Amino acid sequence: MIKLTDVSKKYEKEMVLKKVSLEIKKGSIFGLLGSNGAGKTTLLKTMAGIYKQESGDLTIDKQTVFENPTLKQNVLFIPDLPFFFSQYTVKQMAEFYADMYKDWNQERFDNLQKVLDLEVNKKVARFSKGMQRQVAFWLTLCTMPEVLILDEPFDGLDAVIRQKIINLIIQDVADRNMTVIISSHNLREIEDICDHIGILHKGSLILEKDIDDLKSDVHKVQIAFKDVPTSLFESLDIVHQEKRGSVHLLIIRGNKEEIDQLIKQTNPIVYDLLPLTLEEIFVYEMGGVGYAIENILV
Amino acid sequence: MFDLDLRSRQPIYEQLVEKIKELIVNDVMKTDEKLPSVRTLAQEMTINPNTIQKAYRELEMQGYIYSLKGKGSFVDSLTKNISAEEIEKIRNELQKRLTEAFFIGISKEEIYTLVEHTYLDVGGDRKND
Repeated sequence: MIKLTDVSKKYEKEMVLKKVSLEIKKGSIFGLLGSNGAGKTTLLKTMAGIYKQESGDLTIDKQTVFENPTLKQNVLFIPDLPFFFSQYTVKQMAEFYADMYKDWNQERFDNLQKVLDLEVNKKVARFSKGMQRQVAFWLTLCTMPEVLILDEPFDGLDAVIRQKIINLIIQDVADRNMTVIISSHNLREIEDICDHIGILHKGSLILEKDIDDLKSDVHKVQIAFKDVPTSLFESLDIVHQEKRGSVHLLIIRGNKEEIDQLIKQTNPIVYDLLPLTLEEIFVYEMGGVGYAIENILV
Repeated sequence: MFDLDLRSRQPIYEQLVEKIKELIVNDVMKTDEKLPSVRTLAQEMTINPNTIQKAYRELEMQGYIYSLKGKGSFVDSLTKNISAEEIEKIRNELQKRLTEAFFIGISKEEIYTLVEHTYLDVGGDRKND
């Protein structure tokens, strides 16, 4: 289990993380979302033990990560720009990894070569951006990590490779109970694979929840009436309201059955209740903290 | 094995629950048949194992499947223990659809025939098998 208690981090005078508290269970796939510059990468690097927090506690399986080489054997981080030694071939990189990580799995390395179909004797620098990322996954997965921390991991991967990589990650989660933390801007992608998500904004964690709970807590309602019952709107916890012609579009927080009942009592002519997509949740939650989408006219 | 719509707004675990229920209700999966393990299903469908676990837990709670420690999950005999909540839910849905049916002018007799047909299709009174 990964546990953060009031973790704060600053760069010189600028506070980048403000008292972030978070728990990630073993075997979970956690999605970290956030506005640009929210501190996602800083948070991931702190979890990976690359940065040291100014205050607060951060433990993985009750051990501190920072400067703990034994623990770091099984905590792997892939940055948004994967790093390789210049002039090294894939094979030389693999030898380096095999030296560094005691759980290095050569058999898996050879098997993955067939899956990814990349040349081992080619210099990594000569590969394309997407292929370099594949190499990063290839090397990392062969160290048999317990915790895998990924910063914008699917950037630059085509749909087929992305699916392959996600499948490999999921196998490790199913087989070895690996914990995965993913930051991404591609909400569609995160929605499909994560079971928990957290939203970071200006260094604070504004939300952390089971993704299905999150979805069953907010609903999108499209509704039209002959006579608009004003009392209905008062009795609902409305996050957002819009009117398009005679159709009202509402984002409502609360229990699905209760909302359903309240609305049905008013005999609407048109009525649809839909779960929200993660993208919509993100937009409305961010709107709640003053990071709204405004239609900009230039 | 199950066809899920990843673009749908409906949560994946709910889709899974419904798909499996459908297979059980239509007798594609028989009583005491073993469900695929969480691991296999996760791997085959590229779905988070936690999501599958959740769907199985939900199905167990609703009385569609039972699980044996270390052996996996199996289809439960249906008539025994479908929860009262689930029955109530289906009853409400039926009522809602019937209201709509009457509204658009389907006659009472037609609905009776439909009920008869469906009843025969599922093999009569399965409770007394």
